[in-house]
Amino acid sequence: MVLQIDKPQGHNESKKAHPAIAEKLTDPVWAWREYQTDAQRPWNLAQAGHLYRRAAFGATWDQLQQALSDGPQRTIDKLMRPQADIGAFNSAYDEYESSGTGSAEGLRAWWLRRMILTPHPLLEKMTLFWHSHFATNSSKVKNARLMRQYVQLLRSHSLNSFQSLLKGISRDPAVLIYLGAETNRKALPNENFARPLMEVFTLGSGHYTEKDVQEAAKAFTGLFVLRGRLRYIPREHDGNLKHILGQKGDFTDDDVLRIVLEQPATAWTLVRKLYCWLICETDEPNAKLIAPLAKSFAKDYDILKLVETMLRSNLFFSPAAYRRRIKCPVEFALGIVKPLEGVISTTQLAQDLAGIGQNLYYPPTVKGWTGGRHWINSATMVERHNLALALLQGSGPYGNKLNPWAVAKKHGCSTSESAAGFLLDLFLQGDLEPDIRGALLKTAVAPADASDTIPADTVRRFAHAVVTLPEFNLA
Amino acid sequence: MDYTRRDFLKTTLGSSTLLSFASATPHFLVSSLMGAAARRDEHDTVLVVIQLSGGNDGLNTVVPYGDDEYGRNRPTLRLPTKELHKINSMMGFHPRMGAFARLYKQGYLSVVQGVGYPNSDRSHEGAMRIWHTADPDSPGRQTGWIGRAADSVWNPNTTNAPAIFIGPIAQPFALNAENVVVPSIRSLQDLTTSQIPGYPKDQSQRKRASELPRADKGNSWLDFLQRSTLNAYTNSQRIEAVTKASANTAEYPSFQLAATFRTIAQLIRADIGIRIFFMEFGGGGIGGFDNHANQLGNHCALLHQLSESVAAFVDDLRRDKLLDRVLLMTFSEFGRTVKENGRRGTGHGAAAPVFLAGGKLKGGLIGPRPSLTDLDNGAPKFHTDFRRVYATVLDHWLGFDSRAVLGRQFESLNVLNV
Repeated sequence: MVLQIDKPQGHNESKKAHPAIAEKLTDPVWAWREYQTDAQRPWNLAQAGHLYRRAAFGATWDQLQQALSDGPQRTIDKLMRPQADIGAFNSAYDEYESSGTGSAEGLRAWWLRRMILTPHPLLEKMTLFWHSHFATNSSKVKNARLMRQYVQLLRSHSLNSFQSLLKGISRDPAVLIYLGAETNRKALPNENFARPLMEVFTLGSGHYTEKDVQEAAKAFTGLFVLRGRLRYIPREHDGNLKHILGQKGDFTDDDVLRIVLEQPATAWTLVRKLYCWLICETDEPNAKLIAPLAKSFAKDYDILKLVETMLRSNLFFSPAAYRRRIKCPVEFALGIVKPLEGVISTTQLAQDLAGIGQNLYYPPTVKGWTGGRHWINSATMVERHNLALALLQGSGPYGNKLNPWAVAKKHGCSTSESAAGFLLDLFLQGDLEPDIRGALLKTAVAPADASDTIPADTVRRFAHAVVTLPEFNLA
Repeated sequence: MDYTRRDFLKTTLGSSTLLSFASATPHFLVSSLMGAAARRDEHDTVLVVIQLSGGNDGLNTVVPYGDDEYGRNRPTLRLPTKELHKINSMMGFHPRMGAFARLYKQGYLSVVQGVGYPNSDRSHEGAMRIWHTADPDSPGRQTGWIGRAADSVWNPNTTNAPAIFIGPIAQPFALNAENVVVPSIRSLQDLTTSQIPGYPKDQSQRKRASELPRADKGNSWLDFLQRSTLNAYTNSQRIEAVTKASANTAEYPSFQLAATFRTIAQLIRADIGIRIFFMEFGGGGIGGFDNHANQLGNHCALLHQLSESVAAFVDDLRRDKLLDRVLLMTFSEFGRTVKENGRRGTGHGAAAPVFLAGGKLKGGLIGPRPSLTDLDNGAPKFHTDFRRVYATVLDHWLGFDSRAVLGRQFESLNVLNV
């Protein structure tokens, strides 16, 4: 691979929408068609970085270079269906998790480590998405085994069928305990699962009535969580006629799931939410863009297909998506770790991420993390700054696991100046306005009167300056 | 709602002005902050909430010594009348709460008596959850009242954190918000940006990279992130400047609790937009106020620390003319039983007093003294719903809308001079 440094790449192309493109952004046919590179929309480092931020947790230099030579669609092939033995990797980690300390704190650390080392980062990215969609908080569940099984459920379905995922969720002990739905007596129907099912997991408010919730609750009667296991007690099931969303019958839990999945609102909710996760959260998605995807998703609820359509699309590689999301804390931290090719203490990282608002296994409410601008205030920005510092300073709780100078040297840099250009490409794909780039590069050399001239320290300081830029907080 | 004078001040002073001069001339910055402090409007008030974990024995805190039932029910725990700090012929503060008695006389402390809610929950977890959610009727409520207050004042232009938790334990549920991130800190360091040691010139150059204007490419979120970054640096430097300028000038006792109060006082001085501070005393978990056996000595130590630390905080703020902006309130998940339990301790109770401290109080004892004979399962009955206290501080002190937080309008208490 050719080293490409000190040349801002993709700067103008990626930011200013070509007039012809701007017009097409709201045309669903064009928007969801596969992106093909052309003179107006070249495949470059900025686009490769964008893809790796959304479909993974950031990229190493080799991955970026490989993507440049593979082109967009082949890179997406690899992200969607990696060649590696994913099964072996994940069962090894399942093993570590179950033989671990048996606390949710331990599970948080294993998950972050899995995110860093997995050959299939998109799978973890989507597992994180579902953890926020079907949010379950360990402080209420108080059972690490159940929390582990719950995240495993999310992972095993995260790129498969939403229908199966929803069914698994409706019978998952951790979810039911978290929602206070572990008891569903015939005489006392419990609405604690039926309500979030309709309000949060599928239809969204405005698409069901109180009566629908009450009737659905009757269909869930008979289901109990006893000693951490799901049990069905037939005599506690209400077999009477129920009216749910315009249908009537002696419905069971499976019928309720079928009925909510038949409602167009369910596919709309999910497509919109995934749109915010993968494409853009700065603007409300145009209904015209959502409609065709929702229609097709409602037919088979195939998550992989939906994700694939989004990632391969013209829209995904357009200015309407580029840097149109704020990195969640996990993306922020791993966006520093991944490119620097090191593995850090994820026990410490899990704790630090909790401090900036994303405590894995402990989402704040059933609605998960709201995210977006809500991640950010001046206090969390200070904490992001200090977390980046802790990761990069070469000592302290994270030790010397990340060494930007060593990474730069490995990829052909021999001076702190060339390393600085390299790091701008690695972290921001060089996409920074020229005067800002100029201001930063002035700090890439130790001053002439400096007592130490060790490039490693200068490069660490430079790397820290790059990842604390406002731009780096955009995904 | 807080995109007002504070942001105006920031704009006129200019973030970069603060960035370039702050560390060199902390006094300039501090005096400009003090100047600003003199021109406060009502929206710059601060609420400090302190949680007393474990269930504080209200009867041995504000002691009804004039009621024979008190001594009769407490053969070993009754406090000697002559050592109490008398409020009137019926009530007196615990012997080790001399500082509270002084604040009370000065008008900086009020006692709201008999605060609780119907069908008192006697488990620590259940009762604490109720005080945190402010929703006794919904045990599954997923947000805390301060978290909801923070969400209610959020707007897309805000870059300040409206509420914060300070302490070494996990963030109490009261601060759990649906949307906003409510930070938890242990010390001022957590709100101050650190640098890898290097050359000052380079550091300011790097900051310049964050400060330089970005061309508007129709992405308002980049502008938002830039403002947040600059605000983070500005707030960090305000904290550093205030810390340098007022290091160790105020006297605080050497308790951990007092150190936390000192930190809060520094953050109030730094004026970084935090409206609600939440702190905890008693050690998390079930908490040190839970005295089922040998209560006397332990309770004594806790009340002494509380009283001395609050007084140091009040005196510190008063010296800097900041006390009028600050209101402190205590709460505990429940009070305790009137009768002691045979092990020189008390059982879980119901209603208890809430203390308010600050510069804008009407003072005095608020509400009637709960009876020691007409009881709720052996404990004093409540007459003032705790959500009335919350509504009072939200509506009349912070200028928030309590209905957005509490779901309905609770009648406020006539305790504030505002």
